[in-house]
Amino acid sequence: MSVVFDGSPLKAMQSSHSHTAPAALSAQELSQEIKSFISGVDAVQGRKLGVREHARCAVRLLRSVPACRGAVLEHLRGVYDEHVSTFLHNLETEGNASSGSASNLEDIIQEVHGVLSEFIRLNPRAWAPLVSTWAVDLLGQLSSKHAGRRVAPHSSSLNELLQLWMSCAATRSLMEAYSQCLAAMLAWCPDACVDALLDTSVKHSPHFDWVVAHIGSAFPGTIISRVLACGLKDFCSHGAKDQGPLVEKGNRVPKIGSVVGILGHLAAHHSDSIRKELLRMFQESLAPSTPLSPSSSSTSWEASPQLRRAAVPFLLQLAAMSPNLFGAVSSELVELLRPAVLLQLQALLQGLPREELDNMLGLAVHLISQSPTGGARVLRFLADTATPASVIISGPTPSPHEGVREGCDRLLQMLLLHLHKLVFNRSEGSEVSPFCSTSSQPQRVIPFLEELRSHVAPLCAETLRLERKRHLWLHQLLCLLSVYGGPSVATETLCQLLTQARNPEELALAWQLHATLSSCMAGLVPAAVTHCVAQIHTHTLGRRQLRQLLLNLAAVLQSQDEEKKAAAAGAQSSMAAQIGSAVSVHLHDFGPLLLHGDPAVSHAAVRLLSCSPLPRTASPAHLLLLSRAAVTHFFLALRRRGEAEKAGQDAGQSSEAVSCSVLLLTRFAAYSALTLKAILQQLVEGALHKGNAELFGGQIADMSGAPVASPSVSPDLGASLLDINCRFGTTVNFSGSVWSVFHAGVIGKGLKARTAANLLDPSEVIQNIQTLLAVIVQCCSSSSLNGSQSPSDPEEPPPINAEAAKVVAVTLVENVCPDVANGELSWPPEEHARTTVERDIHIRRCFEAHPVLFHLLQVVAAGRPALCYCSAVLRGLLATLLSHWEGSREASSTDSPWHLQASCLLVSCMGEGQLLPPVLANVHEAFAHLTPFEVRLLLLAVWEYVRGNGPLPQKFVFSSDKGMFCRDFSRDGDVSRYVAPIHSVLHKNIDRLGHLCWRFQL
Amino acid sequence: MGDIRQSLLPRDVLSAAKELLYHLDIYICNMVQSGRQPPQVDSKTLDLIEEFILHTPKDRNTPVRRMSALQELQLLEIMCSCFQEQSRDTVRQLMFSALFNLQGNQADESRMALLSKLVSMAVAVGRVPILECAATWLQRTHRLYCVRLAQVLVDDYCSMVPGSGPTLHNIHSASPRFCCQFIAAVTTLYDLTSEELTPPMELLQMIVSWIQDDPRLVLITFLNSPLSGSQPISSLDVTPLGGLIRWCIKAPLAYRRNKKQANDGSSDGELDAARLFSALHLSVLQVFMLLPNILNEKGLFGRLALLQMESVAALTSDLSRLLDQADKHTHAATSDTHAAPQLALDRLAQALQVAMASGALLCSRGTSERVHFFPPSVFPLSSLLQLVLSGPVMYYNNIHTPPLAYSPHAAHSPIPAHPTLPPHTPHTPLAAHPAPHAQYPAQPFMTGMPFPFRPGH
Repeated sequence: MSVVFDGSPLKAMQSSHSHTAPAALSAQELSQEIKSFISGVDAVQGRKLGVREHARCAVRLLRSVPACRGAVLEHLRGVYDEHVSTFLHNLETEGNASSGSASNLEDIIQEVHGVLSEFIRLNPRAWAPLVSTWAVDLLGQLSSKHAGRRVAPHSSSLNELLQLWMSCAATRSLMEAYSQCLAAMLAWCPDACVDALLDTSVKHSPHFDWVVAHIGSAFPGTIISRVLACGLKDFCSHGAKDQGPLVEKGNRVPKIGSVVGILGHLAAHHSDSIRKELLRMFQESLAPSTPLSPSSSSTSWEASPQLRRAAVPFLLQLAAMSPNLFGAVSSELVELLRPAVLLQLQALLQGLPREELDNMLGLAVHLISQSPTGGARVLRFLADTATPASVIISGPTPSPHEGVREGCDRLLQMLLLHLHKLVFNRSEGSEVSPFCSTSSQPQRVIPFLEELRSHVAPLCAETLRLERKRHLWLHQLLCLLSVYGGPSVATETLCQLLTQARNPEELALAWQLHATLSSCMAGLVPAAVTHCVAQIHTHTLGRRQLRQLLLNLAAVLQSQDEEKKAAAAGAQSSMAAQIGSAVSVHLHDFGPLLLHGDPAVSHAAVRLLSCSPLPRTASPAHLLLLSRAAVTHFFLALRRRGEAEKAGQDAGQSSEAVSCSVLLLTRFAAYSALTLKAILQQLVEGALHKGNAELFGGQIADMSGAPVASPSVSPDLGASLLDINCRFGTTVNFSGSVWSVFHAGVIGKGLKARTAANLLDPSEVIQNIQTLLAVIVQCCSSSSLNGSQSPSDPEEPPPINAEAAKVVAVTLVENVCPDVANGELSWPPEEHARTTVERDIHIRRCFEAHPVLFHLLQVVAAGRPALCYCSAVLRGLLATLLSHWEGSREASSTDSPWHLQASCLLVSCMGEGQLLPPVLANVHEAFAHLTPFEVRLLLLAVWEYVRGNGPLPQKFVFSSDKGMFCRDFSRDGDVSRYVAPIHSVLHKNIDRLGHLCWRFQL
Repeated sequence: MGDIRQSLLPRDVLSAAKELLYHLDIYICNMVQSGRQPPQVDSKTLDLIEEFILHTPKDRNTPVRRMSALQELQLLEIMCSCFQEQSRDTVRQLMFSALFNLQGNQADESRMALLSKLVSMAVAVGRVPILECAATWLQRTHRLYCVRLAQVLVDDYCSMVPGSGPTLHNIHSASPRFCCQFIAAVTTLYDLTSEELTPPMELLQMIVSWIQDDPRLVLITFLNSPLSGSQPISSLDVTPLGGLIRWCIKAPLAYRRNKKQANDGSSDGELDAARLFSALHLSVLQVFMLLPNILNEKGLFGRLALLQMESVAALTSDLSRLLDQADKHTHAATSDTHAAPQLALDRLAQALQVAMASGALLCSRGTSERVHFFPPSVFPLSSLLQLVLSGPVMYYNNIHTPPLAYSPHAAHSPIPAHPTLPPHTPHTPLAAHPAPHAQYPAQPFMTGMPFPFRPGH
């Protein structure tokens, strides 16, 4: 379209001719000239005129006899036509005769062109309309007449066509003449020449397009506005009545068709000006009619109220006919619709009859639904405008006039209805014929929804704002969008709602959506959850969103529980159940979130997990992972609770997290033997872990001489070699050998200073220990292993499961006792204890460092016969206690309180675990009243008993009436032998221990 | 004559028209020879003309036949030669009116188009008979159509085809009657109310040179018409004097206004125009001076108002409006802006005075009537105008002869008469005794002027 028009030869001709105007002819000469022209025979000489001479004669007449104008122009049509024919013929015969008659005619054509352009120049007002009509008509005639020629390119290849015709002198001259006319006429009556252009364009439709394209690109600004104005006038006079969204307008209103065609051509290069022009038309049609305003003087259509009224329908119609134009306008149109403009629009449209308004509404709805871009903006605009003004919600735009609001409301409803029809007819169409393959049937595309697919998230967000009517509309739209977009969009939508809802009311929208969609879409919920999980994995969710998602899921699941309790079943519960099962499948994906850096997220995660049902089957790896995460989270939660309390904050959330965590651990432990074992192991390990020890009142003592060979202790990676060397005794590990090296400090500096750990508040420690024990006890007792024997008495806590207790025991031993040498269960004679002094000291220190160990021992003891497996630990502890009491020179046992307490606890534990018969187990009650030596005596008796009657699990038998294992001491040897020292001590201290005598009766 | 339709129908457009012309010629010749009175072409013939020459569809069934521009040109050429070759005036005249007299039906449009082309062509190729016929046509036809014909000619020769002005200029020698009617039509057409209605310079020059060459030109129609009083309703004035006066008086103001609306670049053109209008004014006054003799010859002095009181009234109201506008627009009055209204008023005074003196304007009621037309509130009384208005009342010596009703368009003029026109009877001479000094003698150098009318040659 960018063919440069080189009119220089024509101009040269023109200038040369303007000076050689023939001298005025006499009347006789003129009449002879006319005769020659009419007959084609020279009137004087009587010979036939050639084409050239005839044409010259015509030109002379044109110059001198005004009345001949029409005839001359008509004759010239033939001349031009002949030239074009020759030109094309030459092209077809490869131009070997190019210097023939064509060049002669070209000469004449230039002459004619010169005359015409001179006339136009001298008197544009008179000539331009005449010549422009003539030229356009002739161009149309020529281009459609010769369209079928072999050399003529197909009408669709506009550029080639343009090139061909512009290389032909005749058409080029016509084109230039027309351009000249147009340039002249634009000043005062552009409508006329554009009208002619349009008419011709309609008549010679595809072949004439090159002319329009060329003219259009030569005069883009004016042509566009003129074309529009003409179209509007035509529209106003023709088809304002019978317009409708789907009525085929092609033959009824011819001009609008060519308007669309022309603008379509121009859109390639001048889409900007077209857009501006369309928008200007829109704006000016709304502007209050001031006949004297300067803008209205430029063009005429604004002056007529009728035309102004028709402008909006006209633009709609245009847009409906050309997606190009519509696309150009739609994006900016919305921005223009400020409240003031809307009021004007309303005022304008009020005057229209109802039927017409309905048509327009339908058209607008159709357009919106077909608009490929800007749908989101349009939607927001409509919703903004249609939302009733409210005191509560102050939108970004001031509340529009009520009438405008109602109009928008109506438009929006119609739009939804229309979309509804489209969406459901579409899917219905594919369902109606289930036998023919549905895939072959092309799915009808709805551009509006197509575009909104990418705006699901903002839409969901807006919906969730729950503003009056708006969320109803948007929710409906989301439903449609989901149905339209199929599972992927539905999933996305649901996922968004689940992620963004912040309270039950908002979450209810998700219910509603699901309720609507569940009928036509299966597997929506699992897919949505999977989608959420995928988002979690890809870290596309922010912390808040993540947290919200987890909380929402948890809320759903909790509501399920409530529903179950209320024994009510409905759509919600079914969705909750679906979510539950879906979440359970992805449990291992949620597991890592327990350890999320953000407490809120991990809290949410634990809440979700604690109420989520557990999957039917799960791989061990996942289970282990989950259990590890759960346990780690448990300790984290404990720590956070402590911190929160210390900081004086509201500890509600953190304590709730703890309770959730407890619940999770319990439920998880009950899930399978594997998880139970893993959890217990990790709980014990965790409790003894250096990092967590302080939670339970532990002090990390420097285990000099014996590194805590626990794998759970993180290696001190930051240590330097010098540091290690300074720690004498750690470089060589002597443990387990006969050598024992103790490093108690540097001589002269006293004992090594113990690193003082920051101690927690005792009450907090107690609370933590309570929690831990509660967890462990619950895990142990609620284990599914003993599910067969449900406790008959619900008030009595279920007994501790032996297996679980064994797990605890074994873990405890592993953690406390660094090596397994001499790890057999049966006890050696007391004297042999000196071979394991180092290990024993280590064990004692462990107990010193971790007070919680005694509590754990108690738990183990309760789960008979698990305490047997702690034999090594017990033995080590007892050995050190014995040596302590032996060496103690204090007057009373109460002078070494820790040892006294340890002794008491140890013995009572062993009694609870039925390693000792009740007689021996009760000795600890006396300890506090005795001297250290007497305590040693009693403890020796204990040792002796255990040595004599080994702590072996096989000695326990399951008693079904108690629901637990019990040891029948009668099977063992005589106890009295071991009771003798007790009695001696009793005798010796009968004054103080009299009240205890009954405890030691056999 | 009506029976030839069947033979015409199968012919092609051009030859049918040609044949019809031929038959029409014979038919009219026969009619004139038979001396039937009145020589009137019957309606069947008119129908044929409309069908085969003007190509008006007779009914819906017959397809519309159109001539191409070339065929039309051929037809025009045939008509030209046909009228040229017809030696008898009567036949020619009858034929012309059969072809082109307006019938008030739908064919009138094409009739006008064809007539315009024919006359335009006749002007180009100098066909005097056609011009003579056209002059008669212009005398008899409603002024609106006359104006259209004039418009076509002006367009054709003054604006469309450059360099063709001289051709039109020649009509004054070819057919003075046509020329006079043309001037009348043109002055009616261009009433200087808007830019479109301002005469083109070329036309103005042409008219001024015509009248300067021969002031009697404007009176030719008047001189040649029988005083039958059978002037058709709403036809053109019998002389273009009224229109010319209007031009001269309004020109200073109208041109200024137009110039203001356009750009100030055309001061040369304006000067030219001013000079031309000056010359025209003089010529018009000279024509008025010719009038007393002619009127006396015809015995019409004091009985026939060539200048209608109504048109003078319309003119004055127009003028007052223009003056009003001029006042509004020139608050920053320079000497120049003041000069134009003054000039207009002076010309008005001169024209009125001379017209009254020469008997063209019959104003017998005296000062009161005159002042009624020129309310001092509107007109800043120039000294000259004051003089004229308060001048002596004219008395005419032939009080017993009632004035001739020569102003047919007073009743229903298509040009809207100004509303303030008082009911007025111009011919009630109240004075009992004639004033002996009433007749102003014509200029002595004008009296001996030969009568320039040459009946068709």
